[in-house]
Amino acid sequence: MSTPAAYLDYAATTPVAPEVAGRMAECLTLEGAFGNPSSVNHDHGERAAALVETARAQVAAAVGAEPDEVVWTSGATESNNLAIFGIAHYYRDSGQHIVTARTEHKSVLDPCRELERRGWRVTYLSPGPDGVVEPGQVAAALQPDTVLVSVMHVNNEIGTVQDVAAVAALCARSGNARLHVDAAQSVGKRALDFGAMGIDLLSLSAHKAYGPKGAGALVVSRRRSVQITPLLYGGGQERGLRSGTLATHQAVGMGTAFALAGVDLTGEAERVGRLRELLWEGLSALGGVHRNGAAARSVPHILNVSFEGVEGESLVAAVRTRVAVSTGSACTSAQRDASYVLRALGRDEALAESSLRFSLGRYSSGADIETAVDAVSQAVRRLRRISGA
Amino acid sequence: MIYNELTRTCFENADCAGTASGPDWFRGEAGGRSRGTWVQFDVQVKLEEGNADEGNSDEGRSKEGGTIRSVRFLAFGCPHVIAAAQWLAERAVGLPARAQLPESVQSLRRRFEVPIEKLGRLLVVEDAWVAALRGATRAD
Repeated sequence: MSTPAAYLDYAATTPVAPEVAGRMAECLTLEGAFGNPSSVNHDHGERAAALVETARAQVAAAVGAEPDEVVWTSGATESNNLAIFGIAHYYRDSGQHIVTARTEHKSVLDPCRELERRGWRVTYLSPGPDGVVEPGQVAAALQPDTVLVSVMHVNNEIGTVQDVAAVAALCARSGNARLHVDAAQSVGKRALDFGAMGIDLLSLSAHKAYGPKGAGALVVSRRRSVQITPLLYGGGQERGLRSGTLATHQAVGMGTAFALAGVDLTGEAERVGRLRELLWEGLSALGGVHRNGAAARSVPHILNVSFEGVEGESLVAAVRTRVAVSTGSACTSAQRDASYVLRALGRDEALAESSLRFSLGRYSSGADIETAVDAVSQAVRRLRRISGA
Repeated sequence: MIYNELTRTCFENADCAGTASGPDWFRGEAGGRSRGTWVQFDVQVKLEEGNADEGNSDEGRSKEGGTIRSVRFLAFGCPHVIAAAQWLAERAVGLPARAQLPESVQSLRRRFEVPIEKLGRLLVVEDAWVAALRGATRAD
């Protein structure tokens, strides 16, 4: 039996932590808390509701929010859609201008493009080569009718951390603009304080932090009385903001995962950061290798690298039996589709297309790094020979 | 991306990768690295006995009717491109030198189970192949 590939794709998803899986399993069967959390007229429902509220408090505590600010969703994509469409429609009479960045996740950019089709105006900010959107750029983009600024906390491709507190202060001063932050990659990697930072809406995902897929939350600030128009109508769950029967096991899984994510955040960041730098040292020895994004401004678990003279899809295919990583390009089209994030940083097409994202996590080890360096080095040399580079 | 067995085998064992030159070698290329796919073939064509004696010099003689003796390739592209180039380089040896693929692009697409949206990449392979064989078969 072959050895499983070293998993270095934690930014795509993480395995569910055993403790999390155990708590989730307790919510599924007849003996467990399987009841509908809205059916509080019997013990089954009441028991489930209590677990959901405990989980809500755990999620809130992990990001410095109040429990009643947490709205359960199916994940960060739904949270981003709910935040953007929700703000845009609720405040449409006070303005139809939005500010965001070219390096945002598609689940932010695509709703913005849809709003443009419906008549809203969107300003897309370009980060510097380090991936950072400077607060001054946001300040310059704000207009009297700006109702929303959407900036991610940790970039999913290059790991750059944005100064969301500074952007929040700008939005607060503007009076009309609310700040939405996509923090799908943040929990467990970088401390985040929703209240202290002055964020108005915060998107969260469970499966990036050792929780289950299909679970997320949108945190909506009560401090600034932020209002949103819902996307889903029905049973009126989640204060009418997100109708649909609550998935007790998903909420419990997310709550447990987020509670675990805060344990030894600093120590884990140092451990993973050391592994990342070992990986970079090993890969850079190849020559013709470029690090994307600024290491000093990024979370420790992501390393994005471009390799001269190789094609991204082939590189991933060449290493796939030994290391699981992501490529920055889309591989299905006849036309090459290089990473739009790297293109926004100013990388040329060839380097943007030949990038790999290594993302480390809780179970990453020194052996994983050695395997990755060896596998990628061999593959790059072989592919350069095949391409005559 | 899921690749079929033939694609994996040819991609992982691209033994014909490289370059070659000489009097009977003909080179053709297509695509561009900046566009994501670039392929170059070096094809060695052996003249048929009768053809080789025709004419007073190499100049003006045609390789039409010749046989492919050896193929080398370079490829910058996805695994399907590298695999298709490798397969052609292996399978074309011994075939008549004609400025066309040994089988159609559509047939290659089926053989390697290439998604329809990547058909354009196989066309680059075809263009490089035809460019090399055109050099071998035209009367200079």
